[in-house]
Amino acid sequence: MTCPYLAYRSEGDGQSFDTERAYCTAADRFVQAMRADVCNDRYDLDHAEDCEIYLAHADGES
Amino acid sequence: MSYESFLAGNPLVVTAALTGGVHGKEANPNLPETPEEIGRAAAAAERAGAAVVHVHARKPNGERSFATERFQAIDDAIREYADDVVIQHSTGGTGAPDDVRHQPLRTDPPPEMASLDMGPLNRYDHLTSENTRGLVDSLYDEMRERGIKPELELFNDGHINEVYGLLERRELADPLYATLIFGPGTLTRPTPENFLNAISNLPDGAQFNTLGFGRHQLPFATMGVLFGGHVRVGLEDNVYYRRGELAESNAQLVERVVRVAEELGREVATPAQAREILGL
Repeated sequence: MTCPYLAYRSEGDGQSFDTERAYCTAADRFVQAMRADVCNDRYDLDHAEDCEIYLAHADGES
Repeated sequence: MSYESFLAGNPLVVTAALTGGVHGKEANPNLPETPEEIGRAAAAAERAGAAVVHVHARKPNGERSFATERFQAIDDAIREYADDVVIQHSTGGTGAPDDVRHQPLRTDPPPEMASLDMGPLNRYDHLTSENTRGLVDSLYDEMRERGIKPELELFNDGHINEVYGLLERRELADPLYATLIFGPGTLTRPTPENFLNAISNLPDGAQFNTLGFGRHQLPFATMGVLFGGHVRVGLEDNVYYRRGELAESNAQLVERVVRVAEELGREVATPAQAREILGL
């Protein structure tokens, strides 16, 4: 299961791209390539364990 | 290598790290991601003075790819646009399984060089790129089998110990080529004292490459020039030209370090000279 805060967008946070890219709706910004693998739970990665942004929001922080 | 090596006038090998696997166009829209963009960036970097290009692969949306086919497309583009530049593939990949980390070595022809991360480093707050000795050995063995020169990436001083460990387990061809990496986090703290300490601890006969992250890129490259080493610059490691000003291209960063080298009287190596220096 991918991160609930993950969206694919071509525009956001003042940037625009030809191809939709991984966007973190919790942090309100496009994410780095390496972090996108965490958002998507690829390989051995797990957003619920490996992403400090998810963990902070899951704990109710803003 | 030392200041005497600088005085001896040995040519400087400039590596351009074009893309990387961490940040992308969200950090600097000038960072090349597609094979076409990477091919053209390699050619521009070569014209600016780079003898080696260090490449990572991306999917069309900028996300990481470790697929042989994607590296093949990049190599094909580099060979189409560039003249004679040495291609160096990354085998790095935080969170990627070991078998996936081997895929960049399997293009046809293989890359002349590939990176070999010599130990663990932390990423973000909850991730570590493990780079176990088992993975180092298996990547090294496949590189040797395919005739690929390893570029040993030393993220901190502990990884210098790992080089000596690898030398006990495997017979590396001369010259050993190691990149010393300076910056925040798990990296060696970026101080001149640590730079001098690191180069003095390398095995005899080693050639070293100098990599400073972010604002440390140019100062540490300059130290690499002055102490007879080689240098790596590029948007993988630093997206800025100066504070608050994004770099326009990889070539712009190469041009700057070439100017510094030439002002200091250090000849910049052609790809052919780089092959001779690095024993490719």
